[in-house]
Amino acid sequence: MNVWDSFKIALSSILNHKIRSILTMLGIIIGVAAVIIIVAIGQGTKKQMTDELFSTDKNAIDIYYEYIPPEDESEMFWEEPVLTSEDIQTLAAVPGVKAVIATNQGWGMMAHDDEQGEMQITGVGAEFFPARDIQVVEGRALYAADNDGLNRVVLIDTIAREKFFKETENPIGEIIDLNDNPYKIVGVYESPLPEQFRNTETGEMLMPRSVISMMFGNREIEQLSVIASDAENISETGRLAAETLTAEKALENGQYSTNDFEDYERELNTMISLLTLLIGSIAGISLLVGGIGVMNIMLVSVTERTREIGLRKAIGATRRKILLQFLIESITLTSLGGLIGIGLAAIGSILVSEFSPITATVSPIIVLIGVSFSALIGIIFGLLPANKASKLSPIEALRYE
Amino acid sequence: MMKLSDITKVYGKGLLEVPVLHGIDLTIEDGEFVAIMGPSGSGKSTLMNIIGFLDYPSSGTYELNGEQIASAKESILAKLRNEHVGFVFQQFFMFPRDNAIKNVASPLVYAGVSKRERTARAQDLLIKVGLGDRMKHLPNQLSGGQKQRVAIARALVNNPTILLADEPTGALDSNTSEQIMKLFTQLNEEGKTVIIVTHEEEIAAYAKRIITIKDGRITDDRRVIT
Ligand SMILES: Nc1ncnc2c1ncn2[C@@H]1O[C@H](COP(=O)(O)OP(=O)(O)OP(=O)(O)O)[C@@H](O)[C@H]1O
Ligand SMILES: [Mg+2]
Repeated sequence: MNVWDSFKIALSSILNHKIRSILTMLGIIIGVAAVIIIVAIGQGTKKQMTDELFSTDKNAIDIYYEYIPPEDESEMFWEEPVLTSEDIQTLAAVPGVKAVIATNQGWGMMAHDDEQGEMQITGVGAEFFPARDIQVVEGRALYAADNDGLNRVVLIDTIAREKFFKETENPIGEIIDLNDNPYKIVGVYESPLPEQFRNTETGEMLMPRSVISMMFGNREIEQLSVIASDAENISETGRLAAETLTAEKALENGQYSTNDFEDYERELNTMISLLTLLIGSIAGISLLVGGIGVMNIMLVSVTERTREIGLRKAIGATRRKILLQFLIESITLTSLGGLIGIGLAAIGSILVSEFSPITATVSPIIVLIGVSFSALIGIIFGLLPANKASKLSPIEALRYE
Repeated sequence: MMKLSDITKVYGKGLLEVPVLHGIDLTIEDGEFVAIMGPSGSGKSTLMNIIGFLDYPSSGTYELNGEQIASAKESILAKLRNEHVGFVFQQFFMFPRDNAIKNVASPLVYAGVSKRERTARAQDLLIKVGLGDRMKHLPNQLSGGQKQRVAIARALVNNPTILLADEPTGALDSNTSEQIMKLFTQLNEEGKTVIIVTHEEEIAAYAKRIITIKDGRITDDRRVIT
């Protein structure tokens, strides 16, 4: 007698009591379905939160200046060191750095024909386009020569193009008015920012940062970030870049630092493990209740089938074989419940993804864990009834009325 | 050869103790045809169950082919039940959802025989007991006599050396009883040890040795000279 024979006996006895089996499995079905769907939603939420936290680039890290007042005197006024193109080249040479992004910000009123609106302006260099993967859909990107030559050229994003120009109009080469100064449009680009960070009213534009510095009077480099060639080492690469820059500028009362993503991630992970713990306890309780239900029904089944057990023993079944038969029966029962639960969870997460912003996905690992956990419940709660069945004396079992 | 010495059986415990067998000494050689007779409640079934490894004696020794088995492990008794004896019960216990073939083949499942061979052997035996046309029938679709013959086929399927039958004809008419007793006689002639429990003289007359039990003691043991 092999496991397959036991499985067939188990399956036929489950099918002989369909309604009872389904009612018994209900606890397991609900437990497994609930756990899997909550985990799926949790993972979906985590992914969404991570996406928001590291919105633009997962492997970009900001470098900023930090003033450290000397111990003896308390200086109230301090000035940030001026960064130049040489500093950018120094940073670009730091091991692990793929690209350096240096920007400044401007803000202005743009007018063209009868339309006008506020524009968020970012001053960039030629390296910005490949580093941020900017898609230029019409015209051209900025050249290094635009910065060096203080060319008054701009790129507008697709939102601004829609607002200021007709579909059939060609914006390239058009002169626009920005804070009463003329600029020439050389390109249209697709904004890489996630929708929630965009100026959807009038759009945004890019221009050489030297031009912003000249026209608006601010520093040429206000924001500095590096992109690591390996996202895994982002924190380390950022730290190294900041240290290199501090050393390069020979700073006395200040240093360059980075925002440590690891802190955010650590916080996020603590939150998620707390959530997992909570879900785990709920799952544990519901599966415990389901397991007790299975044990109850298995005990009833053993009592009902006392004569069958007696007969099996009389024709030569050993204790082990009877034990195995009932264990396999309870494992089959709970695993089947687990499988149905997974099926329900899959349907549930499709519905959640359809009708809410969260994308819930049932991962294969969770399915595997679900099935093995329900099988484990079958073993744990089937052991007592199976043991009871196996210990019956054959002749007493046969005489049972 | 079976050798039972000073076998006792006490049911229950303490105040509820029911002594049933009081020192049974019995030796049965291979190939014998034995009938056990006696009044109701005298302990015939109890003795049969001990002989057939279905129950443990309370005291005494049981030697099977020179080996002590009175206090053997459960798993050893299960193997003996499976391989050495065929038991025919008075109440024709069957698996109600399995057809005749599956019921007859059931001991072979525990002997590890392949499904194909199980079915083949079960079919052969069903033909031998005259049920060739009832193989796919469920127990509740069979008459009492037919069920008893399925039970006999099941007892024979593992080719046991000992065939035990506890009142195998108790629920059958005299015609069917005769057929079944002829089958037992034939099996005994083929070399099997046959032991039956019966109330009826006519049935006992088929045996070559008749043992009488009263109040848990053997009161008579005689061989029939033919
Ligand atoms: N499990 C049990 N617990 C207590 N007493 C029992 C048990 N089984 C049998 N007995 C008692 O043992 C005695 C012998 O029973 P047994 O079944 O061996 O008799 P029997 O000779 O086969 O009778 P019958 O001819 O009616 O079948 C009876 O008095 C019965 O009440
Ligand atoms: Mg009896």
